Amino acid sequence: MVRLENVAKRYGTGGEILHDVSLVLEPGAFCFVTGASGAGKTTLLKLIYLAETPSQGVVKLFGSDTADLDRAARAELRRRIGIVFQDFRLIDELSVSENVALPLRIAGTPEGKIRERVMALLDWLGLEHPIDASPTLLSSGERQRVAIARAIVTRPDLLIADEPTGHVDDETASLLVRVFERVNQLGTTVLVATRDIGFTRRFEHPRLHLDRGALHSIEAVAQ
Amino acid sequence: MIRIPFLADRVHLPLRWYALARLLPCVAALSVYLAALAGVGLIAVGDRLHGWDDSLAGTMTLQVPADTSTARLNTVVALLKQTHGIVGVHVFEPAETARLVEPWLGGSVAIDRLPLPRVIDLHVDGPAIVDLTDLRQRLASIVPDARLEAYGALLAELRNAAVRLTSTIAAVLAVVLLVMVLSAASSAGTALLIRRDMIELLQLLGAKDSHIARQFEAQALQLGLIGGGAGAIASALTILTLGSAGLVSQLSAPIPVEGIADWRVWVVLIGAAIASGAVAMAAARVTVLRGLARMI
Repeated sequence: MVRLENVAKRYGTGGEILHDVSLVLEPGAFCFVTGASGAGKTTLLKLIYLAETPSQGVVKLFGSDTADLDRAARAELRRRIGIVFQDFRLIDELSVSENVALPLRIAGTPEGKIRERVMALLDWLGLEHPIDASPTLLSSGERQRVAIARAIVTRPDLLIADEPTGHVDDETASLLVRVFERVNQLGTTVLVATRDIGFTRRFEHPRLHLDRGALHSIEAVAQ
Repeated sequence: MIRIPFLADRVHLPLRWYALARLLPCVAALSVYLAALAGVGLIAVGDRLHGWDDSLAGTMTLQVPADTSTARLNTVVALLKQTHGIVGVHVFEPAETARLVEPWLGGSVAIDRLPLPRVIDLHVDGPAIVDLTDLRQRLASIVPDARLEAYGALLAELRNAAVRLTSTIAAVLAVVLLVMVLSAASSAGTALLIRRDMIELLQLLGAKDSHIARQFEAQALQLGLIGGGAGAIASALTILTLGSAGLVSQLSAPIPVEGIADWRVWVVLIGAAIASGAVAMAAARVTVLRGLARMI
């Protein structure tokens, strides 16, 4: 599913954000990536969801070496990945339902199916606010649920969440992980990055730890 | 926003141009206004050149003084008929000449008392065939004050002037096109920068470059057509105004004498408006695709 081989990443002439990172994530896995702020978690995730390219090493996704892919093929691969961004990145000009529907529209899903799936998903996530409202009217927790809905609406092969527990209380954070576990049970590989190491210990999922750009607990993560 | 069927994806990405949208139609309107008038001017120049060709190319005129005797006149006519290249000789009777000059002199002048020269209209097989220098010398030996006017040289000068005018108009059109391309490209490029975060998000959600570019193309086409349409209407109004004021025929303005009634004028107006949309669309597409290639 995801394979990183001796990956390094630096921006410009600065120091390495990641160095010599190797990682294997098998299909169906659920894995936490922990580390303090600035440890390189977001950069690692960006390499996996193809927002960045490695300065060195190989990133393989769904069996393809991402360095060999043209832009159209990279776009196709991105459609198989759902991303929950740290800052949600909802589009304020669109309504809640339009935000959630966006990946389906990009993928060319028929309009009837889009509405059906969006409604069902928002209902499942317990979003009671009018779905035609602007995301700016939602609370932080509600915005996060919309962001999660957008990430999983296409039933992606890989779900990546960057600090999803950072904006919510402990109870809500646990509920979010339960949501990710449910998605994982449906066959999606899940990778969650968080700086709260203590929080991840409550769950029986494998953990990888990043410290100043180095992945210390290198292990093959299989369900 | 109006959806343009052949460009409208089912996915309409939220990539509006906002304030930039106001600039492009204005530039398009001005460009189309100038381009349409220049295009109509080209038609007019072509028409006039064609008319001059038809009426002057095979013609020369000889004027001999009014007091020339009939015998000398007959000698001149005989000489002309024998001259290689001259295929027709028509001697205007004094009454015919009087009718020709009457519009310029008015009815109050006693034309029959004026010493009008005898006019001989010559049809030639081609101006280059007739040896004008030799003919002038031989005519001068019979009637020293005879004046031979060959229109071939004049026509050549007119043709050169028309070519220069056409080149100038073509240069104006090229500048207009360049301004239009730069305007559309800079609007699209700026919109791309302003919306960079959103575009990056769309890319991360799996949108392809062509898909994102189509959103910009559709907007550029729409804005180009709106501006182009306004410019074409303004051009049509200008032509109508010149036509109704009688300026077209009086001033030999660079507009066909038929003005707005000429179907070619409509082709130019509509064509310029459509071209405005097409140019804006193409410029936006190239700019956006190049910009996207530098993004993730």
